[in-house]
Amino acid sequence: MTREEVYERLNKVFREVFDDDSIIVQDSTTSDDIEDWDSFEHINLVVAVENEFSFKIPMGKVVTMKNVGEMADIILELGK
Amino acid sequence: MTVTSYRFFVFLFIGAAVYYTAPKRMQWVILLCLSVVYYFLAATPYTILFLILSTVTAYTAGILMECRYFRGNKAAAKWITCITAAAVLINIFVWFLLKGNAFWMLGTRLLHESFPIFLQLGALKIVPALGMGYYTAQIIGYILDCYWGICTPQRNILKLFLFVGFFPQLTVGPISKYSELECLYRDHSFNYINIAHGSQRILWGLFKKLVISDRLAIIVNGIWTDTLFYNGFWPWIVVFVYPLEIYTDFSGCMDIILGAAELFDIRLPENFRNPFFSRTCQEFWQRWHITLGTWARDHVYYPVLKSRMMVRLGKWSKQHFSKRIAKLIPWAAGMWILWFVMGFWHGSSKHIIGVSAYFWTILVLSEICSPGLKKITGLLKVDTESFSWHFFQSVRTYIIYSIGVVFFTADRLTEAFEHVKVLIRTFSHPAWNPWIFFDGSIRSLGVSYRDLNVILLSLAALLGVDVLREKYGYARTWLDRQILPFRWMLYVVLLFAVLIFGMYGPGYNASEFIYGQF
Repeated sequence: MTREEVYERLNKVFREVFDDDSIIVQDSTTSDDIEDWDSFEHINLVVAVENEFSFKIPMGKVVTMKNVGEMADIILELGK
Repeated sequence: MTVTSYRFFVFLFIGAAVYYTAPKRMQWVILLCLSVVYYFLAATPYTILFLILSTVTAYTAGILMECRYFRGNKAAAKWITCITAAAVLINIFVWFLLKGNAFWMLGTRLLHESFPIFLQLGALKIVPALGMGYYTAQIIGYILDCYWGICTPQRNILKLFLFVGFFPQLTVGPISKYSELECLYRDHSFNYINIAHGSQRILWGLFKKLVISDRLAIIVNGIWTDTLFYNGFWPWIVVFVYPLEIYTDFSGCMDIILGAAELFDIRLPENFRNPFFSRTCQEFWQRWHITLGTWARDHVYYPVLKSRMMVRLGKWSKQHFSKRIAKLIPWAAGMWILWFVMGFWHGSSKHIIGVSAYFWTILVLSEICSPGLKKITGLLKVDTESFSWHFFQSVRTYIIYSIGVVFFTADRLTEAFEHVKVLIRTFSHPAWNPWIFFDGSIRSLGVSYRDLNVILLSLAALLGVDVLREKYGYARTWLDRQILPFRWMLYVVLLFAVLIFGMYGPGYNASEFIYGQF
Protein backbone atom coordinates (compact mmCIF):
# COMPACT_ATOMS: atom_id res chain seq x y z
CA MET A 1 0.00 0.00 0.00
CA THR A 2 1.46 3.38 -1.03
CA ARG A 3 1.06 6.63 0.90
CA GLU A 4 -1.10 7.98 -1.97
CA GLU A 5 -3.47 5.01 -1.65
CA VAL A 6 -3.66 5.56 2.10
CA TYR A 7 -4.58 9.22 1.57
CA GLU A 8 -7.20 8.33 -1.00
CA ARG A 9 -8.93 6.05 1.50
CA LEU A 10 -8.36 8.46 4.38
CA ASN A 11 -10.11 11.25 2.47
CA LYS A 12 -13.10 8.95 2.02
CA VAL A 13 -13.17 8.15 5.75
CA PHE A 14 -12.86 11.79 6.80
CA ARG A 15 -15.64 12.84 4.43
CA GLU A 16 -17.95 10.18 5.82
CA VAL A 17 -17.19 10.88 9.50
CA PHE A 18 -17.44 14.66 9.24
CA ASP A 19 -20.20 14.59 6.66
CA ASP A 20 -18.30 17.02 4.42
CA ASP A 21 -17.39 16.12 0.83
CA SER A 22 -14.97 19.03 0.47
CA ILE A 23 -12.43 17.66 2.97
CA ILE A 24 -8.98 16.94 1.56
CA VAL A 25 -6.48 15.86 4.21
CA GLN A 26 -2.70 16.08 4.10
CA ASP A 27 0.23 15.37 6.41
CA SER A 28 -0.12 18.64 8.32
CA THR A 29 -3.92 18.48 8.82
CA THR A 30 -4.82 18.61 12.53
CA SER A 31 -7.98 18.86 14.61
CA ASP A 32 -7.66 22.68 14.39
CA ASP A 33 -8.26 22.52 10.61
CA ILE A 34 -11.56 20.61 10.77
CA GLU A 35 -14.28 22.32 12.80
CA ASP A 36 -16.01 19.26 14.25
CA TRP A 37 -12.85 17.28 15.06
CA ASP A 38 -13.10 17.08 18.85
CA SER A 39 -12.12 14.26 21.22
CA PHE A 40 -15.34 12.35 20.50
CA GLU A 41 -14.95 12.59 16.73
CA HIS A 42 -11.30 11.63 17.14
CA ILE A 43 -12.37 8.20 18.39
CA ASN A 44 -15.12 7.96 15.74
CA LEU A 45 -12.45 8.65 13.17
CA VAL A 46 -10.10 6.03 14.63
CA VAL A 47 -12.88 3.41 14.63
CA ALA A 48 -13.78 4.32 11.02
CA VAL A 49 -10.11 4.06 9.99
CA GLU A 50 -9.88 0.67 11.74
CA ASN A 51 -12.93 -0.54 9.81
CA GLU A 52 -11.61 0.82 6.52
CA PHE A 53 -8.15 -0.77 6.86
CA SER A 54 -9.21 -3.84 8.87
CA PHE A 55 -6.79 -3.60 11.78
CA LYS A 56 -6.81 -2.23 15.32
CA ILE A 57 -4.89 0.93 16.16
CA PRO A 58 -3.23 0.54 19.59
CA MET A 59 -4.42 2.91 22.34
CA GLY A 60 -0.94 4.41 22.71
CA LYS A 61 -1.06 5.59 19.08
CA VAL A 62 -4.64 6.88 19.44
CA VAL A 63 -3.63 9.11 22.35
CA THR A 64 -0.39 10.44 20.87
CA MET A 65 -1.12 10.99 17.16
CA LYS A 66 -0.93 14.71 16.46
CA ASN A 67 -1.83 15.06 12.80
CA VAL A 68 -3.00 13.13 9.74
CA GLY A 69 0.61 12.52 8.68
CA GLU A 70 1.19 10.51 11.88
CA MET A 71 -2.08 8.67 11.26
CA ALA A 72 -0.88 7.72 7.77
CA ASP A 73 2.48 6.55 9.20
CA ILE A 74 0.64 4.32 11.69
CA ILE A 75 -1.56 2.88 8.92
CA LEU A 76 1.47 2.13 6.74
CA GLU A 77 3.29 0.55 9.69
CA LEU A 78 0.34 -1.62 10.74
CA GLY A 79 -0.57 -2.49 7.17
CA LYS A 80 2.85 -4.06 6.42
CA MET B 1 4.92 23.99 56.11
CA THR B 2 2.58 25.26 53.41
CA VAL B 3 3.38 26.86 50.08
CA THR B 4 2.34 30.30 51.34
CA SER B 5 4.55 30.23 54.45
CA TYR B 6 7.84 32.11 54.67
CA ARG B 7 9.49 28.81 55.73
CA PHE B 8 8.57 27.36 52.34
CA PHE B 9 10.27 30.21 50.50
CA VAL B 10 13.41 29.92 52.65
CA PHE B 11 13.40 26.17 51.91
CA LEU B 12 12.84 26.86 48.21
CA PHE B 13 15.68 29.33 47.72
CA ILE B 14 18.17 27.33 49.83
CA GLY B 15 17.12 24.24 47.85
CA ALA B 16 17.67 26.07 44.54
CA ALA B 17 21.13 27.26 45.70
CA VAL B 18 22.16 23.68 46.60
CA TYR B 19 20.66 22.38 43.34
CA TYR B 20 22.68 24.67 41.09
CA THR B 21 25.95 24.28 43.01
CA ALA B 22 25.77 20.47 43.05
CA PRO B 23 27.31 18.40 40.21
CA LYS B 24 24.80 18.19 37.36
CA ARG B 25 24.48 14.42 37.43
CA MET B 26 23.46 14.72 41.10
CA GLN B 27 20.72 17.31 40.53
CA TRP B 28 17.90 14.79 40.42
CA VAL B 29 19.20 13.34 43.72
CA ILE B 30 19.05 16.83 45.26
CA LEU B 31 15.44 17.17 44.04
CA LEU B 32 14.65 13.78 45.54
CA CYS B 33 16.17 14.78 48.90
CA LEU B 34 14.32 18.13 48.83
CA SER B 35 11.06 16.32 48.07
CA VAL B 36 11.53 13.95 51.02
CA VAL B 37 12.47 16.81 53.38
CA TYR B 38 9.48 18.85 52.17
CA TYR B 39 7.20 15.89 52.71
CA PHE B 40 8.39 15.44 56.29
CA LEU B 41 7.93 19.14 56.98
CA ALA B 42 4.53 19.51 55.27
CA ALA B 43 2.74 16.22 55.93
CA THR B 44 2.35 13.45 58.48
CA PRO B 45 5.72 11.71 58.03
CA TYR B 46 4.59 8.06 58.05
CA THR B 47 2.18 8.73 55.14
CA ILE B 48 5.21 8.81 52.84
CA LEU B 49 4.77 5.02 52.92
CA PHE B 50 1.73 5.45 50.65
CA LEU B 51 3.87 7.25 48.08
CA ILE B 52 6.43 4.47 48.37
CA LEU B 53 3.68 1.87 47.89
CA SER B 54 2.45 3.63 44.72
CA THR B 55 6.01 3.85 43.42
CA VAL B 56 6.70 0.17 44.12
CA THR B 57 3.49 -0.99 42.38
CA ALA B 58 4.18 1.16 39.31
CA TYR B 59 7.86 0.19 39.25
CA THR B 60 7.09 -3.54 39.52
CA ALA B 61 4.42 -3.31 36.80
CA GLY B 62 6.79 -1.38 34.52
CA ILE B 63 9.68 -3.80 35.03
CA LEU B 64 7.46 -6.83 34.42
CA MET B 65 6.16 -5.25 31.20
CA GLU B 66 9.76 -4.88 30.04
CA CYS B 67 10.60 -8.44 31.09
CA ARG B 68 11.94 -10.53 28.18
CA TYR B 69 9.55 -13.37 29.04
CA PHE B 70 6.51 -11.21 28.41
CA ARG B 71 7.80 -9.24 25.42
CA GLY B 72 6.97 -10.84 22.12
CA ASN B 73 5.11 -13.64 23.84
CA LYS B 74 1.48 -13.52 22.76
CA ALA B 75 0.35 -16.03 25.37
CA ALA B 76 1.83 -13.87 28.09
CA ALA B 77 0.10 -10.71 26.84
CA LYS B 78 -2.83 -11.52 29.10
CA TRP B 79 -0.46 -11.55 32.05
CA ILE B 80 0.72 -8.06 31.21
CA THR B 81 -2.91 -6.90 31.17
CA CYS B 82 -3.45 -8.57 34.56
CA ILE B 83 -0.29 -6.97 36.01
CA THR B 84 -1.38 -3.53 34.72
CA ALA B 85 -4.90 -3.97 36.09
CA ALA B 86 -3.56 -5.12 39.47
CA ALA B 87 -1.18 -2.15 39.76
CA VAL B 88 -3.96 0.31 38.83
CA LEU B 89 -6.47 -1.32 41.19
CA ILE B 90 -4.05 -1.33 44.14
CA ASN B 91 -3.55 2.40 43.72
CA ILE B 92 -7.27 3.08 43.37
CA PHE B 93 -8.02 0.87 46.38
CA VAL B 94 -5.51 2.61 48.66
CA TRP B 95 -6.77 6.01 47.53
CA PHE B 96 -10.40 4.97 48.04
CA LEU B 97 -9.68 3.58 51.49
CA LEU B 98 -7.99 6.74 52.71
CA LYS B 99 -9.63 9.56 50.74
CA GLY B 100 -12.94 8.13 49.64
CA ASN B 101 -14.14 6.77 52.96
CA ALA B 102 -14.40 10.21 54.48
CA PHE B 103 -17.20 10.98 52.00
CA TRP B 104 -18.61 7.64 50.94
CA MET B 105 -20.40 6.93 54.18
CA LEU B 106 -22.58 4.17 52.75
CA GLY B 107 -19.64 2.42 51.10
CA THR B 108 -17.63 2.68 54.30
CA ARG B 109 -20.45 1.22 56.37
CA LEU B 110 -20.84 -1.71 53.98
CA LEU B 111 -17.08 -2.22 53.95
CA HIS B 112 -16.91 -2.19 57.74
CA GLU B 113 -19.83 -4.61 58.06
CA SER B 114 -18.40 -6.99 55.47
CA PHE B 115 -14.76 -6.78 56.52
CA PRO B 116 -14.40 -5.80 60.20
CA ILE B 117 -10.67 -5.40 59.74
CA PHE B 118 -11.35 -2.09 57.96
CA LEU B 119 -13.23 -0.89 61.05
CA GLN B 120 -10.09 -1.55 63.06
CA LEU B 121 -8.02 0.27 60.45
CA GLY B 122 -10.51 3.17 60.68
CA ALA B 123 -10.02 3.26 64.44
CA LEU B 124 -6.28 3.72 63.86
CA LYS B 125 -7.20 7.02 62.20
CA ILE B 126 -4.68 6.64 59.38
CA VAL B 127 -4.47 9.94 57.56
CA PRO B 128 -4.17 10.17 53.76
CA ALA B 129 -0.90 11.14 52.12
CA LEU B 130 -0.29 14.68 50.94
CA GLY B 131 -1.65 15.28 47.43
CA MET B 132 -2.97 11.74 47.28
CA GLY B 133 -5.60 12.36 44.59
CA TYR B 134 -3.01 14.04 42.38
CA TYR B 135 -0.15 11.59 42.63
CA THR B 136 -2.52 8.58 42.42
CA ALA B 137 -3.93 9.88 39.14
CA GLN B 138 -0.39 10.59 37.94
CA ILE B 139 0.92 7.11 38.76
CA ILE B 140 -2.14 5.43 37.18
CA GLY B 141 -1.42 7.51 34.06
CA TYR B 142 2.19 6.30 34.14
CA ILE B 143 1.20 2.61 34.47
CA LEU B 144 -1.28 2.86 31.58
CA ASP B 145 1.17 4.83 29.42
CA CYS B 146 3.76 2.07 29.96
CA TYR B 147 1.14 -0.54 29.09
CA TRP B 148 0.16 1.28 25.91
CA GLY B 149 3.78 1.81 24.92
CA ILE B 150 3.58 5.60 25.19
CA CYS B 151 6.53 5.71 27.58
CA THR B 152 9.40 3.41 28.47
CA PRO B 153 9.24 2.16 32.07
CA GLN B 154 11.70 3.84 34.41
CA ARG B 155 14.30 1.33 35.59
CA ASN B 156 15.53 3.39 38.55
CA ILE B 157 13.01 3.20 41.40
CA LEU B 158 14.36 6.37 43.06
CA LYS B 159 13.84 8.31 39.83
CA LEU B 160 10.29 6.98 39.67
CA PHE B 161 9.75 8.05 43.29
CA LEU B 162 10.84 11.56 42.30
CA PHE B 163 8.21 11.53 39.52
CA VAL B 164 5.54 10.61 42.11
CA GLY B 165 6.69 12.90 44.90
CA PHE B 166 8.28 15.95 43.20
CA PHE B 167 7.59 18.38 46.03
CA PRO B 168 5.95 21.45 44.42
CA GLN B 169 3.17 19.41 42.82
CA LEU B 170 2.20 17.50 45.97
CA THR B 171 -0.05 20.35 47.14
CA VAL B 172 -2.64 20.62 44.36
CA GLY B 173 -1.05 19.04 41.31
CA PRO B 174 -0.79 19.51 38.36
CA ILE B 175 -1.31 15.92 37.24
CA SER B 176 1.71 15.58 34.96
CA LYS B 177 2.39 12.95 32.34
CA TYR B 178 5.65 11.01 32.68
CA SER B 179 6.88 12.46 29.40
CA GLU B 180 6.34 15.98 30.80
CA LEU B 181 8.51 15.28 33.86
CA GLU B 182 11.39 13.45 32.20
CA CYS B 183 13.18 16.83 32.45
CA LEU B 184 13.59 16.06 36.18
CA TYR B 185 16.44 13.68 35.34
CA ARG B 186 18.29 15.95 32.93
CA ASP B 187 21.14 18.37 33.68
CA HIS B 188 20.13 21.94 34.41
CA SER B 189 22.30 25.04 34.32
CA PHE B 190 21.69 28.16 36.36
CA ASN B 191 19.81 30.75 34.34
CA TYR B 192 18.78 34.14 35.69
CA ILE B 193 15.63 34.10 33.52
CA ASN B 194 14.32 30.97 35.28
CA ILE B 195 14.82 32.55 38.70
CA ALA B 196 13.22 35.84 37.56
CA HIS B 197 10.24 34.17 35.88
CA GLY B 198 9.77 31.70 38.74
CA SER B 199 9.83 34.47 41.36
CA GLN B 200 7.42 36.63 39.32
CA ARG B 201 4.99 33.78 39.08
CA ILE B 202 5.22 32.97 42.80
CA LEU B 203 4.57 36.62 43.66
CA TRP B 204 1.55 36.74 41.35
CA GLY B 205 0.20 33.53 42.90
CA LEU B 206 0.59 34.98 46.40
CA PHE B 207 -1.27 38.10 45.28
CA LYS B 208 -4.17 36.04 43.94
CA LYS B 209 -4.38 33.87 47.04
CA LEU B 210 -3.63 36.27 49.90
CA VAL B 211 -5.06 39.51 48.55
CA ILE B 212 -8.08 38.37 46.51
CA SER B 213 -9.13 34.83 47.42
CA ASP B 214 -8.82 35.09 51.19
CA ARG B 215 -10.85 38.34 51.18
CA LEU B 216 -13.59 36.82 49.03
CA ALA B 217 -13.63 33.82 51.37
CA ILE B 218 -14.79 36.06 54.24
CA ILE B 219 -17.87 37.05 52.23
CA VAL B 220 -18.65 33.50 51.06
CA ASN B 221 -18.17 31.79 54.44
CA GLY B 222 -19.98 34.57 56.32
CA ILE B 223 -23.15 34.25 54.24
CA TRP B 224 -23.37 30.45 54.16
CA THR B 225 -22.80 30.08 57.91
CA ASP B 226 -25.92 32.13 58.74
CA THR B 227 -28.48 31.81 55.96
CA LEU B 228 -31.30 32.67 58.37
CA PHE B 229 -29.91 36.17 58.79
CA TYR B 230 -28.34 36.47 55.36
CA ASN B 231 -31.46 35.73 53.34
CA GLY B 232 -33.08 37.21 50.24
CA PHE B 233 -30.39 38.31 47.80
CA TRP B 234 -27.46 37.54 50.09
CA PRO B 235 -26.90 33.94 48.91
CA TRP B 236 -26.79 35.16 45.31
CA ILE B 237 -23.71 37.21 46.22
CA VAL B 238 -22.05 33.90 47.13
CA VAL B 239 -23.12 32.30 43.86
CA PHE B 240 -21.35 34.93 41.80
CA VAL B 241 -18.40 35.57 44.12
CA TYR B 242 -17.47 31.95 44.86
CA PRO B 243 -16.22 31.16 41.30
CA LEU B 244 -13.81 34.10 41.63
CA GLU B 245 -12.69 32.83 45.05
CA ILE B 246 -12.09 29.28 43.85
CA TYR B 247 -10.35 30.53 40.68
CA THR B 248 -7.96 32.86 42.51
CA ASP B 249 -7.37 30.22 45.19
CA PHE B 250 -6.65 27.29 42.86
CA SER B 251 -4.89 29.18 40.08
CA GLY B 252 -2.98 31.24 42.67
CA CYS B 253 -1.67 28.04 44.22
CA MET B 254 -0.81 26.73 40.73
CA ASP B 255 1.17 29.92 40.03
CA ILE B 256 3.19 29.36 43.23
CA ILE B 257 3.79 25.70 42.32
CA LEU B 258 4.71 26.35 38.68
CA GLY B 259 6.93 29.25 39.75
CA ALA B 260 8.64 27.09 42.40
CA ALA B 261 9.33 24.37 39.80
CA GLU B 262 10.64 26.98 37.37
CA LEU B 263 13.29 28.01 39.91
CA PHE B 264 14.71 24.51 39.33
CA ASP B 265 14.35 24.85 35.53
CA ILE B 266 11.44 22.39 35.56
CA ARG B 267 8.35 23.27 33.49
CA LEU B 268 5.17 21.77 34.87
CA PRO B 269 2.06 21.69 32.67
CA GLU B 270 -0.40 24.57 32.92
CA ASN B 271 -3.71 23.95 34.70
CA PHE B 272 -5.60 27.10 33.67
CA ARG B 273 -6.02 29.10 30.49
CA ASN B 274 -8.33 32.02 31.36
CA PRO B 275 -11.43 29.86 31.96
CA PHE B 276 -13.74 32.84 32.41
CA PHE B 277 -13.07 33.96 28.82
CA SER B 278 -14.75 30.76 27.58
CA ARG B 279 -17.67 31.12 25.23
CA THR B 280 -19.23 27.74 25.99
CA CYS B 281 -19.27 25.28 28.89
CA GLN B 282 -17.36 22.77 26.79
CA GLU B 283 -14.62 25.32 26.20
CA PHE B 284 -14.66 26.21 29.91
CA TRP B 285 -13.70 22.67 30.87
CA GLN B 286 -10.87 22.73 28.34
CA ARG B 287 -9.47 25.78 30.15
CA TRP B 288 -10.15 24.82 33.81
CA HIS B 289 -8.10 22.18 35.67
CA ILE B 290 -6.63 21.21 32.31
CA THR B 291 -4.36 18.41 33.56
CA LEU B 292 -7.25 16.54 35.24
CA GLY B 293 -9.34 16.91 32.05
CA THR B 294 -6.46 15.69 29.86
CA TRP B 295 -5.74 12.80 32.22
CA ALA B 296 -9.41 11.74 32.22
CA ARG B 297 -9.67 12.11 28.43
CA ASP B 298 -6.58 10.03 27.67
CA HIS B 299 -7.02 7.35 30.33
CA VAL B 300 -10.80 7.08 30.69
CA TYR B 301 -12.75 8.76 27.89
CA TYR B 302 -10.76 7.45 24.92
CA PRO B 303 -10.57 3.83 26.13
CA VAL B 304 -14.27 3.86 27.01
CA LEU B 305 -15.32 5.29 23.62
CA LYS B 306 -13.10 2.80 21.82
CA SER B 307 -14.40 -0.14 23.83
CA ARG B 308 -16.39 -2.83 22.04
CA MET B 309 -19.52 -1.94 24.03
CA MET B 310 -19.46 1.73 22.98
CA VAL B 311 -18.70 0.90 19.34
CA ARG B 312 -21.71 -1.44 19.41
CA LEU B 313 -23.84 1.28 21.01
CA GLY B 314 -22.79 3.61 18.19
CA LYS B 315 -23.74 1.04 15.53
CA TRP B 316 -27.08 0.34 17.23
CA SER B 317 -27.83 4.09 17.41
CA LYS B 318 -27.05 4.48 13.70
CA GLN B 319 -29.54 1.74 12.85
CA HIS B 320 -32.36 3.17 14.98
CA PHE B 321 -32.00 6.95 14.93
CA SER B 322 -31.22 9.87 12.67
CA LYS B 323 -27.54 10.67 12.09
CA ARG B 324 -27.51 13.47 14.65
CA ILE B 325 -29.18 11.51 17.46
CA ALA B 326 -27.07 8.47 16.62
CA LYS B 327 -23.95 10.51 17.34
CA LEU B 328 -25.44 12.10 20.43
CA ILE B 329 -26.20 8.82 22.25
CA PRO B 330 -22.65 7.36 22.49
CA TRP B 331 -21.26 10.86 23.05
CA ALA B 332 -23.60 11.46 26.02
CA ALA B 333 -22.84 7.98 27.43
CA GLY B 334 -19.07 8.56 27.12
CA MET B 335 -19.37 12.02 28.66
CA TRP B 336 -21.31 10.65 31.61
CA ILE B 337 -18.57 8.12 32.36
CA LEU B 338 -15.96 10.89 32.05
CA TRP B 339 -17.88 13.18 34.42
CA PHE B 340 -18.57 10.34 36.82
CA VAL B 341 -14.86 9.56 37.06
CA MET B 342 -14.00 13.23 37.56
CA GLY B 343 -16.66 13.46 40.30
CA PHE B 344 -15.34 10.21 41.81
CA TRP B 345 -11.81 11.64 41.82
CA HIS B 346 -13.07 14.59 43.88
CA GLY B 347 -14.10 11.88 46.36
CA SER B 348 -17.65 12.74 47.34
CA SER B 349 -21.24 12.08 46.42
CA LYS B 350 -21.93 15.84 46.24
CA HIS B 351 -19.46 16.09 43.37
CA ILE B 352 -20.93 13.17 41.43
CA ILE B 353 -24.58 13.93 42.04
CA GLY B 354 -24.21 17.69 42.13
CA VAL B 355 -21.38 19.06 40.07
CA SER B 356 -20.89 16.19 37.58
CA ALA B 357 -24.59 15.54 36.91
CA TYR B 358 -25.27 19.26 36.58
CA PHE B 359 -22.48 19.95 34.09
CA TRP B 360 -23.16 16.76 32.14
CA THR B 361 -26.81 17.85 31.76
CA ILE B 362 -25.73 21.32 30.66
CA LEU B 363 -23.31 19.88 28.07
CA VAL B 364 -25.93 17.49 26.68
CA LEU B 365 -28.56 20.26 26.51
CA SER B 366 -26.16 22.64 24.77
CA GLU B 367 -25.29 19.92 22.26
CA ILE B 368 -29.00 19.35 21.58
CA CYS B 369 -29.80 23.06 21.33
CA SER B 370 -26.71 24.25 19.42
CA PRO B 371 -28.09 23.74 15.86
CA GLY B 372 -31.28 25.65 16.83
CA LEU B 373 -29.27 28.46 18.43
CA LYS B 374 -27.04 28.66 15.34
CA LYS B 375 -30.14 29.07 13.18
CA ILE B 376 -31.53 31.80 15.46
CA THR B 377 -28.27 33.77 15.47
CA GLY B 378 -28.19 33.39 11.67
CA LEU B 379 -31.75 34.66 11.30
CA LEU B 380 -31.07 37.60 13.63
CA LYS B 381 -27.87 38.31 11.66
CA VAL B 382 -25.78 38.29 14.86
CA ASP B 383 -22.08 38.81 14.21
CA THR B 384 -20.82 35.87 16.26
CA GLU B 385 -17.25 37.16 16.10
CA SER B 386 -18.09 40.56 17.57
CA PHE B 387 -16.80 41.56 21.02
CA SER B 388 -20.32 42.07 22.41
CA TRP B 389 -21.44 38.56 21.38
CA HIS B 390 -18.26 37.05 22.80
CA PHE B 391 -18.82 39.02 26.03
CA PHE B 392 -22.43 37.83 26.25
CA GLN B 393 -21.34 34.21 25.76
CA SER B 394 -18.63 34.53 28.43
CA VAL B 395 -21.10 36.04 30.94
CA ARG B 396 -23.58 33.24 30.15
CA THR B 397 -20.90 30.61 30.74
CA TYR B 398 -19.91 32.31 34.01
CA ILE B 399 -23.51 32.26 35.25
CA ILE B 400 -23.97 28.58 34.34
CA TYR B 401 -20.69 27.70 36.08
CA SER B 402 -21.57 29.81 39.15
CA ILE B 403 -24.81 27.94 39.71
CA GLY B 404 -23.06 24.58 39.28
CA VAL B 405 -20.40 25.24 41.90
CA VAL B 406 -22.98 25.91 44.61
CA PHE B 407 -22.51 22.19 45.31
CA PHE B 408 -18.82 22.86 45.82
CA THR B 409 -19.46 25.28 48.67
CA ALA B 410 -21.15 22.64 50.86
CA ASP B 411 -19.50 20.00 53.01
CA ARG B 412 -22.11 17.34 52.31
CA LEU B 413 -24.72 16.59 49.65
CA THR B 414 -27.62 17.38 52.02
CA GLU B 415 -26.03 20.73 52.85
CA ALA B 416 -25.61 21.41 49.12
CA PHE B 417 -29.33 20.84 48.56
CA GLU B 418 -30.03 23.19 51.48
CA HIS B 419 -27.99 25.83 49.67
CA VAL B 420 -30.02 25.30 46.49
CA LYS B 421 -33.24 25.62 48.51
CA VAL B 422 -32.01 28.87 50.03
CA LEU B 423 -31.34 30.23 46.54
CA ILE B 424 -34.77 29.25 45.26
CA ARG B 425 -36.43 30.81 48.34
CA THR B 426 -34.99 34.20 47.33
CA PHE B 427 -37.84 34.74 44.89
CA SER B 428 -40.58 34.00 47.42
CA HIS B 429 -38.91 35.45 50.48
CA PRO B 430 -40.73 38.34 52.18
CA ALA B 431 -37.41 40.09 52.75
CA TRP B 432 -36.98 41.63 49.31
CA ASN B 433 -33.61 43.23 49.87
CA PRO B 434 -31.81 44.22 46.65
CA TRP B 435 -30.49 47.37 48.41
CA ILE B 436 -27.91 45.22 50.25
CA PHE B 437 -25.75 45.68 47.16
CA PHE B 438 -25.60 49.45 47.70
CA ASP B 439 -26.28 50.38 51.36
CA GLY B 440 -23.07 49.04 52.91
CA SER B 441 -24.76 46.05 54.63
CA ILE B 442 -21.94 43.91 53.29
CA ARG B 443 -19.73 45.34 56.05
CA SER B 444 -21.69 43.23 58.55
CA LEU B 445 -19.76 40.23 57.15
CA GLY B 446 -16.51 41.68 58.44
CA VAL B 447 -15.26 43.30 55.22
CA SER B 448 -14.62 47.04 55.31
CA TYR B 449 -14.92 49.55 52.45
CA ARG B 450 -11.11 49.32 52.26
CA ASP B 451 -11.41 45.57 51.71
CA LEU B 452 -14.03 46.08 49.01
CA ASN B 453 -11.82 48.64 47.25
CA VAL B 454 -8.86 46.24 47.46
CA ILE B 455 -11.01 43.46 45.98
CA LEU B 456 -12.23 45.65 43.10
CA LEU B 457 -8.78 47.01 42.24
CA SER B 458 -7.22 43.54 42.50
CA LEU B 459 -9.88 42.04 40.26
CA ALA B 460 -9.20 44.82 37.73
CA ALA B 461 -5.48 43.90 37.85
CA LEU B 462 -6.37 40.21 37.46
CA LEU B 463 -8.52 41.01 34.42
CA GLY B 464 -5.67 43.04 32.91
CA VAL B 465 -3.17 40.20 33.37
CA ASP B 466 -5.63 37.64 32.00
CA VAL B 467 -6.25 39.81 28.93
CA LEU B 468 -2.47 39.97 28.36
CA ARG B 469 -2.28 36.21 28.81
CA GLU B 470 -5.05 35.68 26.28
CA LYS B 471 -3.22 37.88 23.78
CA TYR B 472 0.40 36.79 24.31
CA GLY B 473 0.06 33.28 25.78
CA TYR B 474 1.95 34.47 28.87
CA ALA B 475 1.63 37.92 30.48
CA ARG B 476 5.42 37.75 30.99
CA THR B 477 5.90 37.87 27.20
CA TRP B 478 4.49 41.40 27.35
CA LEU B 479 6.30 42.23 30.59
CA ASP B 480 9.71 41.14 29.27
CA ARG B 481 9.39 43.72 26.47
CA GLN B 482 9.00 46.62 28.90
CA ILE B 483 11.88 48.80 30.06
CA LEU B 484 13.70 47.78 33.26
CA PRO B 485 12.42 50.58 35.60
CA PHE B 486 8.82 49.90 34.60
CA ARG B 487 9.21 46.16 35.19
CA TRP B 488 10.76 46.68 38.60
CA MET B 489 8.11 49.24 39.51
CA LEU B 490 5.46 46.57 38.86
CA TYR B 491 7.36 43.97 40.94
CA VAL B 492 7.71 46.39 43.86
CA VAL B 493 4.03 47.42 43.68
CA LEU B 494 3.00 43.75 43.61
CA LEU B 495 5.32 42.85 46.50
CA PHE B 496 4.02 45.70 48.65
CA ALA B 497 0.44 44.88 47.70
CA VAL B 498 0.99 41.35 49.01
CA LEU B 499 2.78 42.57 52.16
CA ILE B 500 0.27 45.33 52.97
CA PHE B 501 -3.03 43.87 51.75
CA GLY B 502 -2.33 40.15 52.04
CA MET B 503 -4.45 38.24 54.57
CA TYR B 504 -1.74 36.50 56.55
CA GLY B 505 -0.18 36.46 59.98
CA PRO B 506 -1.83 35.69 63.36
CA GLY B 507 -5.59 35.27 63.18
CA TYR B 508 -5.66 34.20 59.55
CA ASN B 509 -5.37 30.77 58.09
CA ALA B 510 -4.19 31.40 54.57
CA SER B 511 -2.68 27.98 54.35
CA GLU B 512 -5.81 26.10 53.34
CA PHE B 513 -6.31 25.77 49.61
CA ILE B 514 -9.74 24.65 48.45
CA TYR B 515 -8.20 22.05 46.14
CA GLY B 516 -5.73 20.96 48.83
CA GLN B 517 -8.41 18.59 50.18
CA PHE B 518 -8.14 16.30 47.14
